[in-house]
Amino acid sequence: MGPESFRWSYLLLISLFYSYVSCSSVEQKIYIQLNNTVPCVRLLNATHQIGCQSSISGDTGVLHVFESEADLEWILTNGPHPPYMVVMEAVFFTRPTMMRMKNSSRVAGVAVISSSTAPSEGFSPHTRCPNQNSGVYGESYGPELANCNNTVWNPLGNNLSYEDFAFPIFFLENDNQTQVIRKCYEDHNVRVNGTAPEYPLCAMQLFSHMHAVTDTVTCMRRTDLQNSFSINPEKLCDPLNDFNVWASIRPLNSSIKGHKENESVVIAATRLDGRSFFWDVATSAEGTVSGIVTLLAAAQALYPVTQEAPPPRNIFFTFFQGEAFDYIGSSRMVYDMQNAKFVIDMDNVHSLLEIGQVGLRNGSNLWIHSDPVSRKNSSVNEEVDKLVKNMQSVASSLKLSVEEPGSSQALPPSSFQRFLRARPIPGLVLADHQSAFINRYYESLYDTPAYLNLTYPPDLSPEEQLEYETEAAKSLSEVATLVARSLYTQAGGDDQFLSNITADTKTVAKLLYGFLIKSNNSWFSSLLPPEALGRGSILGTGAPQYYIGLRLDNTVKSVTRFVQFILANMTGTVLSLNQSQCQNPNSVPDQSKDLYSYSWISGPVSANGTAESYCVRASVRLSKALSPAFELLEYGSREYSTWTESRWKTIGARIFLVASPELEMMTLGVGVAVLIVSLLVTYFISSKAELLFSSTREAPATTY
Amino acid sequence: MNLERIPNEEKLSLCRKYYLGGFAFLPFLWLVNCVWFFKEAFVKPAYTEQPQIKTYVKRSALGLLLWVTVLTTWICIFQHFRAQWGEVADYISFTIPLGTP
Repeated sequence: MGPESFRWSYLLLISLFYSYVSCSSVEQKIYIQLNNTVPCVRLLNATHQIGCQSSISGDTGVLHVFESEADLEWILTNGPHPPYMVVMEAVFFTRPTMMRMKNSSRVAGVAVISSSTAPSEGFSPHTRCPNQNSGVYGESYGPELANCNNTVWNPLGNNLSYEDFAFPIFFLENDNQTQVIRKCYEDHNVRVNGTAPEYPLCAMQLFSHMHAVTDTVTCMRRTDLQNSFSINPEKLCDPLNDFNVWASIRPLNSSIKGHKENESVVIAATRLDGRSFFWDVATSAEGTVSGIVTLLAAAQALYPVTQEAPPPRNIFFTFFQGEAFDYIGSSRMVYDMQNAKFVIDMDNVHSLLEIGQVGLRNGSNLWIHSDPVSRKNSSVNEEVDKLVKNMQSVASSLKLSVEEPGSSQALPPSSFQRFLRARPIPGLVLADHQSAFINRYYESLYDTPAYLNLTYPPDLSPEEQLEYETEAAKSLSEVATLVARSLYTQAGGDDQFLSNITADTKTVAKLLYGFLIKSNNSWFSSLLPPEALGRGSILGTGAPQYYIGLRLDNTVKSVTRFVQFILANMTGTVLSLNQSQCQNPNSVPDQSKDLYSYSWISGPVSANGTAESYCVRASVRLSKALSPAFELLEYGSREYSTWTESRWKTIGARIFLVASPELEMMTLGVGVAVLIVSLLVTYFISSKAELLFSSTREAPATTY
Repeated sequence: MNLERIPNEEKLSLCRKYYLGGFAFLPFLWLVNCVWFFKEAFVKPAYTEQPQIKTYVKRSALGLLLWVTVLTTWICIFQHFRAQWGEVADYISFTIPLGTP
């Protein structure tokens, strides 16, 4: 008996264990979870909501792969199994198709599969007039130039990113899982000679339920209400925010805010962010990275000369975050300058040079845009003319051609507009386009390194690619040299030193590789502090994405970090301090945390695998890029950006087979019938128990 | 508590307590009163305290009905117009459903 009982308990244990495990495996048997998905999420401003959302329990529909325009008719009118979950290649993701689906109740959701080829006719889901209502032009300032009356900057813009969809839209990376989806579709859902497929059908479920609704005013009010008296407060939305990066050639005392005596600065600016239709997919090669790389290379080229022969004016590099969303970064910096909360104020600003999109000039002209309204003032006009002349003479010495696009044309969308809103300072915006953008994929998925012609010979290792000088790198390093020399003359530097200022093509190549192809490379990791590497590394796996997003616990976006430390390395000096001194420099004589920032940098890894860490002193700082509307608690502000991103709980996608509604109803019906019958039988048995069990019962003596 | 086992005077005082308690914005007491004393008031053979219990039960039922109508009307109106009222509706809501206007 001993071994027998042992075996029984053993079996019981096994069966218990098995039933426990099989609980999860039933789900696995039914559903195939899809990874590598990116949703389109809801964003809100003072008056509108944009983006997409599913219902709280996810939206389900029968899969239909969109292969031609004829499929649209099937989905919207003929197909017998609505609602449909539409899976399409990115080429079909156009405004007419999406708007027809938006207005139909037969679409449960859309999944867009990435494709490597961009549509040749161009595609931009952004508006035709980016940042239309937050720039400088309006009723009180150049009304004839307002709303892109004069030049439509992004004529290919179809406004898709600013539509509000009531169904979820997901982006799928084209990999094995899309093959699984296609196979499931081909096995079950394909029409045979135009007749509808039979059940069971392949279906897809998308979860992207958004908590915020209507507009920023509503969601911030509800968040505040929840926080004031709910037991379980829940935030509904958060303002888009991150950090601007700035650095100056001569250090500025950051502990003293407001006006600085005897300080005149030339601002060199560019933007740090971009976007696309989908959340956190924004490669923004031409739109953003061309400017970042140019300005970083220019800063590196300028630094040694400004130390040997300092120009009379200071040069102030800034990288503005959140510019795609109504100029979050620049409006905050201007607001801080006006309210004496920044190291300098507007009186300290001499002039401004902004780098716009400069990656697609293809050997032809560069254009310098200026503001026709402020140039009506003769003193401003004189200054601007001087800047233009400086730049043109620098350009001619570099055999580049730089021209003005015509005196009545407005400024393109640029951070400079936010400075002009405050004060008519002289300034220029350098770009590769004369009027409308050359960029045919502005703020879209297709603004990729390939569009910038950043291509590498096929047989290179990652290390060789990092060092490889592409045509794009050569072209941008010319622009960087132009920018660096122009800044030097703009700052009043002597012309004789100009020939010493040349941007390094190799650096530009490495910057392009790191910012567009793969940030996890040996060069980037040698320039970052050790705590940013290792576990939870900010380097990520692929190319960095440029959507600003939001910071929940005062962390800094990885791209902002890259720019901060690369700039620190390029415009800083290496000190012979050890790690603890570097982290607490106030204890060291002649060092001041008010003037400089000190960073402990990992350094390049040598052949034997050890890194030579060092301490860098630079004047690089971060400043908050959170719209002033959220400081002032004016959530309905028309002056400042009010963009917020909704919170959500689950984002997910899965596919499974569905049975026909008849079968489902029959199963339910049978179940209910069995339940009722069993209740009746139980009732019957218990009421007739005396009769039924009388013979076997041994007269129990129970008393209650 | 079993009503069968207590004397009629106590039944009356209990019914009265529930009836009066309902006026403190506690319609559920009236509901309990109605259900609990229904048999006592209308089914049982007559006894001295029965007419009074009957009155209390009837009045409780009336009060309950009033509450139900008022609450149902208000809930219907509020749910229907909550989105339209916007800010005001948010301030008089205790919980706000996520993701709906």
